[in-house]
Amino acid sequence: MFILAFALCMALGYLAITSLWSQKKSIWSESMIRISLTPGFGLAIFSVVFWLTRLSGNAHVVAFDVLLLILLGFTYAVQRSRTANEAPAKYTLSSRAKMNCPVFSGNSSQSRDLASAPQSLDQGLLNTPEIKPPKWLARVSTASFAIALIAALHRATLRVVAHPHGEGWDAFAIWNLHARFLFLGGSHWRDGFNSMIPWSHPDYPLLLPAAIAHFWSYLGHDDPLVPAIVGLFFTFSTLALLVSSLVSLQGRNAGLLGGLALASTPFFVEQGTSQYADVPLSFYILASFVLLHVASRHNSHLNLAPAMLSGMAAGFAAWTKNEGLLFVSSLLVAQVSHAVSNSRQQDSSPEFAGNWRTLAYSVLGAAPLLFLIGWFKHTIAIPGDLFSSPSTMIQEILTPTRWWIISQWFAKELLRFGNWWIIPGTIAMLAFYLVIFPRRKSESQPALRTSAMTLFLTLAGYFAIYLITPRDLYWHLRFSLNRLFLQLWPSAIFLFFVLVGPQLWPRSQIGRSPQNGKL
Amino acid sequence: MCQFAPMRPAPNQQATAKTKAAILLFILCCLLSTGPLAFEAPSPGWRDDISRRSDQRFAALKANLPASGVVGYIGETGDSATPDYYLTQYALAPLVVDLSPNHAIVVGNFPSSPPAQIPQNLRSVKDFGNGVMLFSSKEAN
Repeated sequence: MFILAFALCMALGYLAITSLWSQKKSIWSESMIRISLTPGFGLAIFSVVFWLTRLSGNAHVVAFDVLLLILLGFTYAVQRSRTANEAPAKYTLSSRAKMNCPVFSGNSSQSRDLASAPQSLDQGLLNTPEIKPPKWLARVSTASFAIALIAALHRATLRVVAHPHGEGWDAFAIWNLHARFLFLGGSHWRDGFNSMIPWSHPDYPLLLPAAIAHFWSYLGHDDPLVPAIVGLFFTFSTLALLVSSLVSLQGRNAGLLGGLALASTPFFVEQGTSQYADVPLSFYILASFVLLHVASRHNSHLNLAPAMLSGMAAGFAAWTKNEGLLFVSSLLVAQVSHAVSNSRQQDSSPEFAGNWRTLAYSVLGAAPLLFLIGWFKHTIAIPGDLFSSPSTMIQEILTPTRWWIISQWFAKELLRFGNWWIIPGTIAMLAFYLVIFPRRKSESQPALRTSAMTLFLTLAGYFAIYLITPRDLYWHLRFSLNRLFLQLWPSAIFLFFVLVGPQLWPRSQIGRSPQNGKL
Repeated sequence: MCQFAPMRPAPNQQATAKTKAAILLFILCCLLSTGPLAFEAPSPGWRDDISRRSDQRFAALKANLPASGVVGYIGETGDSATPDYYLTQYALAPLVVDLSPNHAIVVGNFPSSPPAQIPQNLRSVKDFGNGVMLFSSKEAN
């Protein structure tokens, strides 16, 4: 039954992604991104479906699943036939292409030329042979990534066997407990979200518990292996998404180095198998950034689907943990500020991620999830425990010692949150950047700027939460800050390699490839 | 026909020994942390005791409790008091276990030693062994 439920979950995820985002001719690197996104989207859909059946009092989860599968399958078929009948879309070059061939940008006649080209330009870009690094270096990168991946898989597997109920209190006191209430509670499932057990954080969103409960409903019992396997899936999907997106956007070398950086972060593997929600949250944050970059690479109508999926991923982040709500707010602020700034500059380029249309589609993607969360918070959950009275919060904000303590902890934790051995990954990345520091000014990368701003705002939000926390500040920092950093770590690696990628034998080199030279 | 502007030298054409050295150094830093990943993993066959401390201990008691509702809780004091209580709630879900003896049914959890004394409003109903006990409120009768 688990295999059936798993297949259904993956099918729902894949169909949801490809119903929105499919192309006439498949681009393998983008297909890899879609496949990497599938487990996360499938689990999120599983979660939403289960919660809706609980809300409606309808116990027929299977019927709901089958109905949704048919609906998504139909949408997918319609979308495929539409895409197949579509005339080739007009393309202009992405910012990376512009970087290498500025003459293309913003010229409509050239766009038409490109439209009649045998391949779409983006496809040409993606299929352009990479300029290879020296063979020995490519082999070293590949072997290193393989070693790190095998070590991570080895450790993760042993940890799952050793800690089938997760490791640490949050696994059994919050996430799996909520899953048990949802699954075993029947019509009394709301009992688990009352104020009698406030330590279980009944205000925490339900992506993880409801997805687990959905699997249990197929199995007929609360098998502890399910949360363990879900944890494994999120851990290695995050890694796969990071590698596939970097390979797609910046070439194989950047993908392998990015993957190596994440796979060799011990804390990432530990947390991923602890059955906490921080790695799942990191997956959705990364997915949102990746899709934003994919949206910015395409233009015309093709960027709308990834933009909408980016918004959906952000919504899933908010449905995973309360920190996800902070992330959604930060993303919204960053996108709005970028769109406003571009409007002021009268930038008519159709490709940048921060334009109003992309923003509108992102919001459209996130809206149903935000509505669901709003409903949950308003009707089910009890108020959270992070906010005290306004006067107390103001007093805490105005205490300089708190600012100093939090700053110190942020600085210290940046060097140690990954549980690295000898050299912190953050220092390794900083040193790497300084050595290969680009000598020329980098070209405008709107998605990168928007994402970096989002990351910064989210970090600032974490800082602000510590400022106002009613709990003992040291206790709070000690037991949560490393996990907050971990939530952003895969995205930080992604953005770092998008930034330095052009220095690392990137994929697209227009003008160097004979097939592009013919255009 | 598309005309290409003269190309700027692609950055990767300028790949220097310095870049290669930086990549190698970065790889080395990452691999340093990979070692502990492989060697500090739990040894095969080692299992933690969450299941033993929760589901297995409370299985018999759970069969004697209502399927839903709220029960009270009393337990040991000390460092393990909080995890013991959380694990009891985990085992007995979807029952809500309130950390209070003021309920008609109260669960007792004394994994280390039997209770020296129980609250006066409670009477013992059944000892399930292994430190798991069931009490009821005298007032409820």
